[in-house]
Amino acid sequence: MSRLAPLELDQIEDPELRDLITQCVELGVPDELFPRIIARVPAQAKTLLGVMLELHTKGTVDHQLKEIIRIQLARFVDDPYFSALRSKKAMDAGLTEERIDAGCDDYEDSELFTDAERMALRFSDQLFLDPDKVDKIFYDQMREYYTDAQIMEIGTFLAIYHAAHLFMKTLNARPLAA
Amino acid sequence: MRYVEIVSTDVDSFGDEEWDDLRAHLSEDEIAELGMFLVGNLGFHTFFGSLKFFPMFSPDGRLVSQEESAAIYGDRPESLQGEAAE
Repeated sequence: MSRLAPLELDQIEDPELRDLITQCVELGVPDELFPRIIARVPAQAKTLLGVMLELHTKGTVDHQLKEIIRIQLARFVDDPYFSALRSKKAMDAGLTEERIDAGCDDYEDSELFTDAERMALRFSDQLFLDPDKVDKIFYDQMREYYTDAQIMEIGTFLAIYHAAHLFMKTLNARPLAA
Repeated sequence: MRYVEIVSTDVDSFGDEEWDDLRAHLSEDEIAELGMFLVGNLGFHTFFGSLKFFPMFSPDGRLVSQEESAAIYGDRPESLQGEAAE
């Protein structure tokens, strides 16, 4: 059980927040637990959940790639909650556990990824583990595959989810459903 | 501040003792609020640090060039100093 108890659903009265929680459950990331924990502060929870859903499901960067990146980050910090979650949208579109595992491990040598995807995986791999490597040369290489807007989209996605993984790890949280 | 430091630099060391310490001073609602603040800030320090951009204004309110701003504020955010030491 999470160190910080989630609110019961009937304690969450704000219809906009309840709708965002429904959207999270439908996507699968996050599941109901994270939103019900942060629902203690409704105004901020609505903003954060809206941003997380927007970053994960909208934009021009492939959703399956972002899902692999998200899981790679969660595994880096050993966060059992976010590591176990899967985007139903990504899985329904054909994302496999084999591809997820490859993205978290031997993506550089894997034939399951394009050069552009490897570049994005390298970005998420190194940004928090070895940020000094993410320098001007790195970004110049990244711009061979991505626009500035896409780099911002990926970087912002990484920034938000990396910190969310760290927060949930401190709560010792697990997904609500197996 | 101890919580933020542990999350930022050594999250694996956060256990029941650290949680009890946090709960002794903050309510559950306050911890949720602090967690959301972290989510909205922590990762951006690293990402924006890698982009090497600096505040547009000096501490006295002047619009300054990126080169001058780097000289004023330093080329590495204090939030990344812990990573540099690792």
